[in-house]
Formats: sequence, C-alpha cells, structure tokens
Amino acid sequence: MSYKIPMGPYHPALEEPYKLDMICEGETVLDAKLHIGFNFRGIEHLAETRNHIQVIALMERVCGICSNIHTLTLCSAMEKLTNLTPPPRAQYIRVIMAELERLHSHVLWAGIAAKLMGFKTMFMTCFELREKVMDVLQAISGNRVNYSMNRIGGVNRDIIDPGSILRMVEALELEMARTVIPIFTTSRTATSRCAGIGVLTTEKTIALGVVGPVARASGVPQDLRKAAPYAAYAEMEFDVPVQPDGDVRARLLVRALEIMESCKILRQALAKLPPGEIHTEGEKFAFITGTATARVEAPRGEVMYSVSWKEGSRNPARVHVRTPTFAVMPAIRWMVKGARLADTPLIQASIDPCYSCTDR
Amino acid sequence: MMPLESIPEILGSREVFAEKGGVHWLTLNGMSIRELAKAMNALHARFITITAYELPKDEGFRLEYHWDLDGQLMGFSFTLAAKSIESIFDICEAVDWIEREIHEEYGLEFTGREYEPLLLRQGDTTGVNLREVVIAGNAVAVSKENK
Repeated sequence: MSYKIPMGPYHPALEEPYKLDMICEGETVLDAKLHIGFNFRGIEHLAETRNHIQVIALMERVCGICSNIHTLTLCSAMEKLTNLTPPPRAQYIRVIMAELERLHSHVLWAGIAAKLMGFKTMFMTCFELREKVMDVLQAISGNRVNYSMNRIGGVNRDIIDPGSILRMVEALELEMARTVIPIFTTSRTATSRCAGIGVLTTEKTIALGVVGPVARASGVPQDLRKAAPYAAYAEMEFDVPVQPDGDVRARLLVRALEIMESCKILRQALAKLPPGEIHTEGEKFAFITGTATARVEAPRGEVMYSVSWKEGSRNPARVHVRTPTFAVMPAIRWMVKGARLADTPLIQASIDPCYSCTDR
Repeated sequence: MMPLESIPEILGSREVFAEKGGVHWLTLNGMSIRELAKAMNALHARFITITAYELPKDEGFRLEYHWDLDGQLMGFSFTLAAKSIESIFDICEAVDWIEREIHEEYGLEFTGREYEPLLLRQGDTTGVNLREVVIAGNAVAVSKENK
C-alpha cells in the first residue's frame, strides 16, 4: 500500500520554504511532486519600477549567496544596451569576485551536505573555511553578503593589494587540499551516504535542461566560462571537472574539484591583474531601445538575464531572470524516485538549491 | 561546434541569424513553435527559457524562446494574437516550469498540456496578470511612503 508523505514547506530537513509531496511504499519513494512559490517576490516586475542604479541593488537581492553573479549578469546586459565596455582591470576584478563567490557557495554547500550526512565535525571545518572566504570578500568589498561591486561599465571597488588576497587564497587552497577534499573523496561516511544515491542519468539531465555542477556530475560537460567566455575568462586556464555517475557523490566530487579550479583561476587573475581604471570614468551613456541578454556561470550553473529598455526611459521595460535552480530543481523528482525516504533530504540538498533565486 | 549558418536551411528559413544584444536571432518563415522545438531536439540544442513580454496598448504578448547550441545563444520570437500558444512540453520536458510560470504570471494559455497545481502562488488563483498586480501594488506603497 502506498502513502503520501509531505515534506515542507516548513521542515527541519529543508532550510527554506518549498514542498515535496512524496508517494512512498514502505521506505521507498515511488514518485514525488515539487511545489515552490511560498515566498514568490515578483522581483522581475518590481525591476520595471526602478531606475538603472536602483535596479542593480534590487537584483543583487535575488540571491543571498550568489548576489554578485546577479549584478554581474545584469550589468553585462545593460552594458550591451549602453555600448559601454568595462576596462580590462574591471573585467579581472569581476572574475576574482565571481570565483570567490563560487568558493563561498561551494564551501557553504559542502558544510550543509556534511551536516545532512551526520558529519558534524566536517560541517564545522567547512564553515570555518567559509569564514576565511568571506574575510577575503569583505577585505575587497567591505561587505560579507551583498558586495555592491558591479556597476554599468565596470566595478565600484579596486583590489588595492592583490598580494594579500593571494596569500589568503593560498592558505584556503592548502586547507581545502589537506582536509576537505580528501575527507569528502575518501571517507567511508561520505561514500556510504552518497555513492549510488539520487542518480540523475545523462539522458534525463539533457532532457530537463539541467545546468551547472549537477549537469557536470551527470556527465554533461557544459560550463559557460569555457563555452561562451565573459569578463576575462578567455584569458584563464582551467579545467571543467566532469563526473559520469550522476549520484550525490559525483556532485560532491565535482564541487570539490571546482574549488581547486577556482583557486587556480584566482591565482592567475590576481597575478595578471592589469593596471588602469576600474570603470568607464566620466563617460556619459544612454540606453538604446532594444533587448540585451547576458549569461554567466554562477556557482549553481547558468544564470541568464534578458533586459529590455526604451530610449529615454528611466526604468527598464522588462527584466527576466532565469536562475540555475529554476532549471535544476525539477530534476529532484527523478533523483528521489526509487530512493530511500531517509536519503531524500541529502538528495535535495545535493543540487545546492536556492529557493530565494527560484522564488525571485 | 556546429556553425549557426547551417541552421536556417534546416529550419526552412530564408533568413540568416542576426546577432543583437548577445543573442543570435532568426526570423522563422511560418514555422510553428512545435516544429521548432522538434528541430532543436534534432540539433541537440539545450532549451534555456522563454521570456514573456506584455506589449503596450493591448497588442498582446511576445514570447522569446532561447536555446543554446555549443555556447551559442539562439533566440526565436513569437507574437501572440490571442492569449494562447501551443505547449511544447511533450517535445521538450525542460519547458515545464517556465510554461507554468508564464501561465500563472500573465494568464497565458499553453494549449495541449495539463497544468500541475500552482507553481508560483500557492493558494491563489490563475488567470491574473501578476505583473499588473505587482506594479500596481508598488505604486500604492510608494504613494503611501510619500504621504
């Protein structure tokens, strides 16, 4: 006999409001339905009531973790509508901020995953490391969460002493390589809780249009930093980690390896940081009528902004955001099918869901 | 990487892709959205999203469909005379949530599919233009602040 178990919208195993209705037989999940929208904020429509400065501050609040990515993508789209090109130094700073944000996001996720595995000491280690990343972000921007770094035509703050940031990155990389990655990749606890759990096949990943680390953990090697480079990514050398298994362990491995690749990119960007202005100084600009689109590889995958403007207007005519979680979250239904009920919180967490982005 | 130049012929279009605002746009010569979705599947293009635009002066809506092909962003525009368009959910599973979202945000109908219960507004009703609700609500809030 099958029965329904609702998980959420308020549940100890879920960090934010979202609901999963699971049809179970015994301890096995037969099917599931997802419900979002408990905190839908209508931000896209609110954006139509904000001017070109206010809209950046508004869209920075779409996500609490990858806030910088949202303003980077928005500003990249608006730069196409104003024919402004950020100077090279600004492009490098954008790469540095994006990779620091990826580190922050991946380490935070690793901590939450460790907690859900029942691996509390690892949770503490990850959050200690996260603090170090946030210290770097604070040293650059003055803020720990919403960094206010991006503006149309460049960035708001310079990196005065790349050497000191580099030392922090090296310390972080050492700690990752010494503790986090070996434990996640070799410990029996991590393996027993993650291997073969919540599998998403390559075929289903492609059919659902899944993006980011979840797609790469299912054998789909897509990464906009390589496929459609933006900012200064074309000048960076790095690998895109891909794992074929499609289970929770593969998602863990992909993110762990991406942490090392981010450190590699950071070292290059800090070493090669070109001199010069950080934004188009004193250049007047005006919006042309039209629509511009920008895409960026956020920590959770592809973010896309479409921005429409009418010449002479104070506010955008339309701002549409496609966040990575919006593309990835429907895959949870296929990951939990056939899984044990006790594994479902970890399976859901393994996509690194952002409910804030989804309920934008 | 598949060159975009070869795609118009596959889609039966006499036009060429025009890059504008970061998107490669192609005008389709009467091809339906369902035919386009089948052709995109055959090309192994990845569906990204649909962007809905409410046109001024009761001119209806425009839907822009985006697919990615090896890092190249393609865009196809469809203007809706009525408030409905054929669903491509049975051809392209990835459109599920965005079709449902547009249905709930603008009251547009994607014909030929069944909708799950509300995606965006739990406990609310469909057929309401949420854009108008949010913008009107914001105007009221700003007016109260100014008082």
